[in-house]
Amino acid sequence: MLKDYFSTGKNKEPLPPKSKDQLPHSIQGISYVEWRDAKKKNHKWRNIRWSVLLFMNLLFVFSYSFDLSILEGSLSGSRLIGFYLMDPFNALQLLAISSITGYVGMLTMNFWIGLITILIFWFIFGGRGYCSWMCPYHFLSEWAEKLHIYLVKKKKIRERSFNIGLKIIFFIGFLLLAVLTKNLVFEDLNMVGIVSKAMIYGPSLLLLWVVAMLLFEAFVSRRFWCRYVCPIGTTWSFVGKLSPLAIKFEHDKCGYCLECQKVCLVPHELWFVQRGKATQDVHFVGPDCTRCGLCVDVCPGDALTFAIKGASALV
Amino acid sequence: MEKKKSGVNRRAFLKSGLVATGAIALAGTGAFVLDRATSGTRLRPDFLRPPGAIDEETFIYGCIKCGLCVQICPVQAIKLAKAGKGLAFGTPYIDPREQACDFSCDALQCVETCPTAVLNFKPFKDAGLAAVEQAAAEAGDDFTSVNPFEVQKVAMKQIVRMGKAHVNRDSCLAYKGEGFKGVSRGTNFKGIYRAPDTQDASASPLADKEFDREICDLCITECPIGETAIVQELDRNGRLVPRVLDGCTGCGVCVMICPTHETSIIVEPF
Repeated sequence: MLKDYFSTGKNKEPLPPKSKDQLPHSIQGISYVEWRDAKKKNHKWRNIRWSVLLFMNLLFVFSYSFDLSILEGSLSGSRLIGFYLMDPFNALQLLAISSITGYVGMLTMNFWIGLITILIFWFIFGGRGYCSWMCPYHFLSEWAEKLHIYLVKKKKIRERSFNIGLKIIFFIGFLLLAVLTKNLVFEDLNMVGIVSKAMIYGPSLLLLWVVAMLLFEAFVSRRFWCRYVCPIGTTWSFVGKLSPLAIKFEHDKCGYCLECQKVCLVPHELWFVQRGKATQDVHFVGPDCTRCGLCVDVCPGDALTFAIKGASALV
Repeated sequence: MEKKKSGVNRRAFLKSGLVATGAIALAGTGAFVLDRATSGTRLRPDFLRPPGAIDEETFIYGCIKCGLCVQICPVQAIKLAKAGKGLAFGTPYIDPREQACDFSCDALQCVETCPTAVLNFKPFKDAGLAAVEQAAAEAGDDFTSVNPFEVQKVAMKQIVRMGKAHVNRDSCLAYKGEGFKGVSRGTNFKGIYRAPDTQDASASPLADKEFDREICDLCITECPIGETAIVQELDRNGRLVPRVLDGCTGCGVCVMICPTHETSIIVEPF
């Protein structure tokens, strides 16, 4: 059962693709295009998610500017009504350096509690859920993405994609860099930290770096930072691998329209939606998934839903 | 067919890997330059690290730049370094000429709040507890007369060492035998502090306070530590001048309050 929990099912023999009569639009007796476009304007989960994201980030800002003391600090490290929370990649860099220099013993109990609390929280709420439900750069990047998609559609630019394994190279690279220079190098390039701190403590020159990356994402490579670079996202994807909250895919409701892959930040994790690729009747989206719910919103057959992995085994 | 596809993938991966390695190398070079520009050298003499800061080299990687110390400071003395301040980016510092640490939080909340202990609370905690124990022992049967919080906070702030103050004898009013009358930094000055002669719990604007001294002694009378840190004494020429003692915590209140155009007293960080 545990094996099933972690298995993606990718190495199994694919199921036979459904025939035309078995596709949802045929069953409903409507045209394919009509069926496909039925939920084009549905933004339920996106609106909920944006509300949560903006609320949490503004809570940081107001906690400081109006001295509310609810959510203090920034996304690099914070305190929620007295309970510490740590950014895991920041903590990882610090632990890597300090275990070599011997400083690790000096870290406070609050640091350890903060790190463990946040790991448990996002274990429950789906690892990279942090990215789409909390990260302010993700929000900005979504707007750059809209521009990018428009430009590609108008054939002004062409899509440039890279190998998804890049993020592992960046993850290891930034950790090594931290150890070699004895400096939290990534913290100076960290989109999350820069945007979060600019909102709370006022803008800094480093915002130019954020703007540069947004322009790069808009005109060159779609969601470059979130997809291929950000080691915080990679850290959360390790947590997301274990997390029970995931997007569930049901093959019998799928009409192979691929609308979900078009909106997805990490379309490689939705490999099973293509005709003849699914190997199981039910798939769960893999660890890179940010649980943003865009695919849930857009899926005309409701084949994609938020679900608890392993729940059926328990009941 | 399958073979060819994986060949393409491998090539794409190599290309991507090259891009990543290049990007990391670039970031590494940047970090190296940054490292050279910040660590090893001492702090700018007009900037201080917050109380309890450990050695600069460890501070630079130990500080996660969360800003909790900034947020808890009631007088907003602590700021996060922006580019061009000569400090590692995003690390906390105090510019005492603009806003000094006056201990009006009643001892070291910034240190207590720091999750990575680069502002290290342990020595303060130990000193505070030791002082309370000692005071209780000295009071003997009369221990109810001892207010442990008072004893603790005095003991804690006394062992702060952000730096040590130095007087510039060329510009100091006392060395010229001059007094001072008026508002020390002008009525537009934003800095606040809790004066030693007040009973208020919180700090009030320096701009609201008028002084009238025959011989300027603001750095002495307004020092939150008192006679273990700075005293007035007669020098060889018979002038009443300030003398900084080893009890100076380097909090910088004297720097903030000094009425000369350029401050005549500076705190040199250790």
